[in-house]
Amino acid sequence: MRQSPFLCTAAIGTVTVALCILAFFAIVVLNVQQLTQNWSREVQVVAYLDEVPAKNRLEMLIKDAQMIDTVEGVEFISRQQALDGFRSRLGDDATLLEGLESDFLPASLRISLKEGSRNRVSVEKVVSQLKSKKLFSDFRYGQDWLDRFDSFVSLIKLSSAILGGFLLFAALFIVANTIKLTVYARRDELEIMSLVGGTSLFIKTPFLIEGALQGAVGGGFSLGFSYILFEFFLHQGLSSLLLSGGIDNIIFLPTHFQLMIIAGGIFLGFFGSLLSLRKFVRI
Amino acid sequence: MVQLFNVCKAYTRDGNALEDINLKIPKGDFVYITGPSGAGKSTLLKLLFAAEKPSRGQILINGQNLTRMRSSRIPFLRRQLGVVFQDFKLIESRTIFENVSFPLEVQGKKRYEISKKVYQMLKSVGLEHKLTKRPLELSGGEQQRVAIARSLVVEPLVLLADEPTGNLDPEVTLDIMELFKSANARGTTVLLATHDRDMIHRFPRRQIGLEAGRLVEDRTP
Repeated sequence: MRQSPFLCTAAIGTVTVALCILAFFAIVVLNVQQLTQNWSREVQVVAYLDEVPAKNRLEMLIKDAQMIDTVEGVEFISRQQALDGFRSRLGDDATLLEGLESDFLPASLRISLKEGSRNRVSVEKVVSQLKSKKLFSDFRYGQDWLDRFDSFVSLIKLSSAILGGFLLFAALFIVANTIKLTVYARRDELEIMSLVGGTSLFIKTPFLIEGALQGAVGGGFSLGFSYILFEFFLHQGLSSLLLSGGIDNIIFLPTHFQLMIIAGGIFLGFFGSLLSLRKFVRI
Repeated sequence: MVQLFNVCKAYTRDGNALEDINLKIPKGDFVYITGPSGAGKSTLLKLLFAAEKPSRGQILINGQNLTRMRSSRIPFLRRQLGVVFQDFKLIESRTIFENVSFPLEVQGKKRYEISKKVYQMLKSVGLEHKLTKRPLELSGGEQQRVAIARSLVVEPLVLLADEPTGNLDPEVTLDIMELFKSANARGTTVLLATHDRDMIHRFPRRQIGLEAGRLVEDRTP
């Protein structure tokens, strides 16, 4: 820093900007993931019973359904509960149900699936296993919606991976080149160190430590700036976009992500320096 | 101290920068390497401090074969050598004291030992009063004296100097030559590449002449 303050500041600035972009990207992806997780709770199988079995038989049936490895929970909905639910959904129009028998709706099992199994393949696996019981008249699991949801989640995952990969590569490239400039500015010093008998380790170590420190400082700054920009701009923008989708609140990066950003800075600084030094230190 | 056997160095396929050099320089000798520009003087010195590897032949310094030396051992060889260049090669961002103490730091010497040796060395080149100055605050002659102090502070077995007075006026050249002579008198073998005929006449020593990469002259006055 003392020897080339401008280039050192440039290196820290580059790491800060590169990691800020990554942090922003991570915030958006995390919140969209939160949204898709929220939506995925809607993925459930409703298995309608022909007849309500005896109590012990019903308990056995629920237990069997719970034994399926992708199933998170099973809830029995009696005919009366189904009617009550229907009535409450109708709201002011519930009067339409007056005069109808209370048992005109079938009882059912509402089966929710574990996170990670909320997709068409897992749903159909559960349905096929339940079909073998021959106690169910029908299954409903929002087939069309599930197809669209699966495609949407796949698209989010793929675009996150591609864009994240590009951003990470671009960050590494830009940071490595800026650090190369700082090393290039001190190439005379490197040459003299080598001339007077400095070992490769002796010459490289201070530069690597400096690179790692610059990366850590850049990582810290990027978290600070990301938080400020998140609070003042991104939070509001994401809220208007995502809160209507049903999630409770917009989240900033969790602690382990923040540590990953700092570690990412150290990684960029250290390996950026190492790559540059390989070019300039040849003993 | 320094031995070369059938040494060749080629940078390109077109021709050799050095061709079939055989040389023996005993311990404590003072040798001029002379020749016109492009004769191979600098290449010869680069081979001796292992900045380049010979294309063919063997080089021995103090019994150590440079051509068979692992690259991890080269720094330890260089600690036994002092190298002085025409352009001084000082670190501009560091003080004179820091520049001269640098080779001792590299060798892991203790701080009090470094301070003592550096002060003594700067005193011997007449710059003890400029310890805290930076290279660009000094004249060319003073900068070269700092570079010589840096190379001599480690008490090298061999001192290699590549046109050390090339950028200096004649009066300063005399001062610099006195420093080389006193280092030689203390037992350091000195190899000095130059094409300054006046200097060779004024301080006659063994003279090795190169021309187009070949050794064409080896005479002792």
